[in-house]
Amino acid sequence: MRVTNMLPDMQYAMQQSQQNLSTALQQVSTGLRVNQLSDDPSASANMVSSLAASANVDQYTSNVSYLLPQMQTADSALSSIVTALNSAITDGTAGANGTETSAQRQSIASQVASVLTTVVAQANTSYAGVYVFGGSETSTPPFVAASTTYTSANGSAASPLSATTALTAGSVTTIGDATTGQTWSYTAAQGDNVGDLEAAIASAASTGKISANISASIVGGQLSISTGSSTAGIAVVSNDAALGSMNAADGTAVANAYAYVGNSSVNSVQVGDSMSVATNVPGSALFTSGANVIGSLSNLVTALQSGTTAQISAATTAVSTASSYIDQQRVPLDNSISQLNSQESYLGQEKITLTTQQTALVGINLANAATNLSQAELDNNAVLAAAAKVMPQTLLDYLK
Amino acid sequence: MATLSSALSIAVQSLGTATGELQVTNNNIANANTPGYTRQVAVLQEVAPTLDGTLSAGNGVELTGYQSVRNELLQTQINQETTAQGGANAQLSSLQAIEPTFTTSTNDIGTEISALFSSISSLSTNPTSSSSRPAVLTAGQNLATAFNTASSTLTSQQTGLNTQVTQDVSQINQLSKQIAALNPQIAVLKASGQDGGTLQDQQDQLVLKLSALTNVSVIQTPTGETVTTGNGTALVMGSQSFALQTATGSDGATVKVDDQSGSDITSTITGGDLGGTIQTRDTTIAGLKNQLDALASQFAAAMNTAQAKGYDQNGTAGAALFSSGGSGAAITAGNITLATTDPAAIAASSDGTSGSNGNLANLSAVQSTELPSGETPGDTYASLVYSVGSLTSNANAESTATTASLVQLNDQLSSVSGVSIDEESANLITYQQAYEAAARVVSTIQELFTVTMTMGTAAAE
Repeated sequence: MRVTNMLPDMQYAMQQSQQNLSTALQQVSTGLRVNQLSDDPSASANMVSSLAASANVDQYTSNVSYLLPQMQTADSALSSIVTALNSAITDGTAGANGTETSAQRQSIASQVASVLTTVVAQANTSYAGVYVFGGSETSTPPFVAASTTYTSANGSAASPLSATTALTAGSVTTIGDATTGQTWSYTAAQGDNVGDLEAAIASAASTGKISANISASIVGGQLSISTGSSTAGIAVVSNDAALGSMNAADGTAVANAYAYVGNSSVNSVQVGDSMSVATNVPGSALFTSGANVIGSLSNLVTALQSGTTAQISAATTAVSTASSYIDQQRVPLDNSISQLNSQESYLGQEKITLTTQQTALVGINLANAATNLSQAELDNNAVLAAAAKVMPQTLLDYLK
Repeated sequence: MATLSSALSIAVQSLGTATGELQVTNNNIANANTPGYTRQVAVLQEVAPTLDGTLSAGNGVELTGYQSVRNELLQTQINQETTAQGGANAQLSSLQAIEPTFTTSTNDIGTEISALFSSISSLSTNPTSSSSRPAVLTAGQNLATAFNTASSTLTSQQTGLNTQVTQDVSQINQLSKQIAALNPQIAVLKASGQDGGTLQDQQDQLVLKLSALTNVSVIQTPTGETVTTGNGTALVMGSQSFALQTATGSDGATVKVDDQSGSDITSTITGGDLGGTIQTRDTTIAGLKNQLDALASQFAAAMNTAQAKGYDQNGTAGAALFSSGGSGAAITAGNITLATTDPAAIAASSDGTSGSNGNLANLSAVQSTELPSGETPGDTYASLVYSVGSLTSNANAESTATTASLVQLNDQLSSVSGVSIDEESANLITYQQAYEAAARVVSTIQELFTVTMTMGTAAAE
């Protein structure tokens, strides 16, 4: 084959070697084998999935870090409650031995009342502004001192509420019954009015959802919800703008009585691709249903104040049962805490695994990259040297 | 009978022939680096001998013309490969501009999808958080912006390619005109038995440039080259050229290509920069836009459906999180935006209470649930990334392969038609010696003339 001009071939060879040199240099400077999608489309696509998994692991880790102290706070509160209940049991046992005087029993009753106050304070534990025993009602204390009567802030004689006053759609009015430990909520639908709320309360009372003596009516232009009894207390909360806040009527407080105004919702948080943990135990499940911790303490105070020895003994036994109940309720919470600790370790390992995977997909070993660069430099120098040797020479150089 | 005069005539003719050879060598050397130059050789022919009795006496050599050393087959192959290279380079150029939009580690769609779901998961730990709720909206808006940016990049590329189509058509028309102008001139030369020479070289270069722009077919006719596009649309016939036209399509944006009669031939143009540009604009980028729009639309629909299953912070049923921006149009990647700026509007609750996070599980589930397209949002985006990467990689491979092929073909053509300085240098010496020899013959004959004329005179003695 007749060779006329080697310049085009030399230019092509130089371009190729310089391209290889540029690629090797980019790999060394970035530490990456894949610097654009076209370098390895398959690896690039797999990186999308791997990075998404990494982001999830990071968030799960953050969730665990947030939840652990919150749940440990809740567990600590329950532990304190058990300690307080044990103290109340001791007091109740002393009061039931039949040798105490009335004055001594009153003193014991005061001690148990103090225990009750402590237990309620623990039941209203919050972490980072979140009440941990209120179900999904986390912004207000779930346990409120009971009164016989609650009235709406809105309404007056001059500007009264009426049965036809419209309620705010979606608003929730909750009645906590200190006597039974029950909680009842009413969510206003579009078009509902105060009359509908009154009727719903009456229906709840008649069907046993709340104490039968609880009723609602318009008094002095305000909505009034009351028990009709000086010893039966309730607590009412509402976020309905038409009613305004619900407030305990002056002088209607019932001593040593507390009602639950949270709800029974349980929140779950995902801490793994297939793992969610319950982040709360509703106060209704812990303190007012089942063994009814708060109710049993209230009853023990009442029994010590004015009851017989047998009544004090029975009330003390109820407190003992409540203490055992709380101990049992701690088990799922402790299990969740244990799960979170294990998950924290697992997520740490998973992060390392994903990082290693990502490096394998798009990264390059620095030693290999340096070797590739050296080789590319050698190749380029060889091409340039060859071009320098060959290109300038023609027959004319030898014809003198 | 041989005479001194006839001998002189032969020698003079030799001088002329050697001069002609020197001239063609000089021309070859001068054009050694001229793109498209085909080396020429002098065509020599022995003059018919004269019969003198039983003697046959030669009458020397004559220069009958100059011949370009061509290889039409190789030239055609180079034109075809140039067309392929033009198409590949056009696609590669656009795809390389699009690639950065679909990276895997900055503010791309995949990263923002992950960030949105991370913010939702963070909100689930405290649904009433005054910082976590706005963070979800911020993440949502960032995702919408990522969609908008990607769509805008693709649209911008298409707009740029529209300009390229107009420029290519203008160049094609200009080249066609120039080719047509050369046809009658070359036809005259060939009609007189001469080689096309320099004019043919010029025309071949114009056809090569045309091949870089679009696939063309060249047929030799008595009136010159007839050039048509790959689908048969005439560009040059004889001395006449036929201009292509550009016009705006029915969508008001796309530039289409019409033939001289106004018929739309856009979809029939293949190869070359114009063919590659049209394919990239109308098929490749259009396809990517469709995939992107489908992802945006289906993702928004899934999130809005999840929103509707829950309650916002005020206890109201969840409203749409994403929309097309109030126009009522279908959601696309280009118009997707947040439908609300109120953090309370995030429907985290499943029971109407502000502290409930029950519906956030529905929102989070969108990440791992297949969209109507058949893949999860993340996997759909990964498929898009793969598409862009493999399209670019394939275009790059084709560009590299055609470049290498062209180097080989040009080497082959050069070995036939290229000028070798070494070879011409050797020819120079040869023709110089031939001239010197012929001049020596002239000198000798001149001396013989002098001897003859002074024969029998005192000067001769």
